[in-house]
Amino acid sequence: MKELVRLTDVTKVYQGGITGALNGVSLAVEKGEFTAIMGPSGSGKSTMLNLVAGLDRPTSGSVSVSGTDLGKLGETGLARFRRDHIGFVFQFFYLLPNLTALENVLIPAQLKGDGSTGRGRELLEKLGIADVADRYPARLSGGQQQRVAVARALINNPTLLLADEPTGALDTHTGEQVMELLGDLHREGQTILLVTHDAKLATRHAARVISVMDGKIVDDARLASPERAPSEVIRMRSEEKLR
Amino acid sequence: MSLKYGVLGLLKGEPLHGYEVKNRFEAMLGGTWEVNIGQIYTTLQRLERDGLVRPVGARGDRGKLAYELSPDGHKALEQWLAEPDSGPQQLHEDIYVKLLLATRIANGGLQPMLARQKRAYLQRLRDLNRLEERARRDGRLDLARLIRGALLHTEADLKWMDELSSERFGAEAAKTE
Repeated sequence: MKELVRLTDVTKVYQGGITGALNGVSLAVEKGEFTAIMGPSGSGKSTMLNLVAGLDRPTSGSVSVSGTDLGKLGETGLARFRRDHIGFVFQFFYLLPNLTALENVLIPAQLKGDGSTGRGRELLEKLGIADVADRYPARLSGGQQQRVAVARALINNPTLLLADEPTGALDTHTGEQVMELLGDLHREGQTILLVTHDAKLATRHAARVISVMDGKIVDDARLASPERAPSEVIRMRSEEKLR
Repeated sequence: MSLKYGVLGLLKGEPLHGYEVKNRFEAMLGGTWEVNIGQIYTTLQRLERDGLVRPVGARGDRGKLAYELSPDGHKALEQWLAEPDSGPQQLHEDIYVKLLLATRIANGGLQPMLARQKRAYLQRLRDLNRLEERARRDGRLDLARLIRGALLHTEADLKWMDELSSERFGAEAAKTE
């Protein structure tokens, strides 16, 4: 498989005691992988995602995505890299309130000089929210807003889809639906890096779970998906004494 | 989990032979509990002795009788269903004893054990997710609910490992007596 992301001995130091620092993180992600990054608040997991997205720069070490060393890019180059390679889904959606759902989805394409609406409509259709294309975010449910955000992240066919707690602001059921969506995208070949607190959802979709603690990767688990008999997974047994 | 009340519950619907009880019990549990036929017959005999079930109708193809609930059996089942589970917390996995022993033997150095256990829980979560998907596909909502419970329990186990791994707990001197 082809390597898509590589972090080499990455350190991130924040001034003034802001949490989320990284301390010598190395990591490779291959094309087509669905990887979950888990860890407590302030462990540095979101920092990792922001560095891969080119939203932030490491204090030392290198980050490369799709063969591009992000440290060699200037601000303009980095913005172009983000536009062309990265789709980002946030916990709180971050839709622009004065644009409709469709207009929000189209922003990244327009930044590229592409004014067509066809793919935007197609994506809204695919994500099951074509009927709300002309509504403003305030008139959308949380789940619908996150779907719009996913469509926006996908509009430029990103090499890498990054999601930082995408279900964190949603109720359980809606969160499951959004994760199901990410699972579908992964099955279509999308490489996904997901930061989450929810181990149940993470293990349902991601076959690789990276645990981060205090700015370090403490575990990198690749999970198997064999067909197991129910009794190999759950065992109910009687503790009752027959009298 | 109670075989006795499981059997009573199944007989509430209609009279059944022992092997029918076994098959239906295993199907209800979705293969998470395999009982042998001997246990079922022993249970039925004890239930009959206690007046909670009684034989009914003709002998089945193995010369065995079918059983139905007696009025006392109905009452006992209703009572059991209405009672909350208020017994002690059941902790019957090895990890609990391993943890206590490792605290003594490794003098507090639990990290490798916790990391291995955490990985096992992650894999179990994945397996449970598969199982839940299958149950939903098969339209077994009751089983999916049960598996959901198992998922949440395993998530709690995982959080426990994280808590034990964190510095706050690692730094504490363990008193073992």
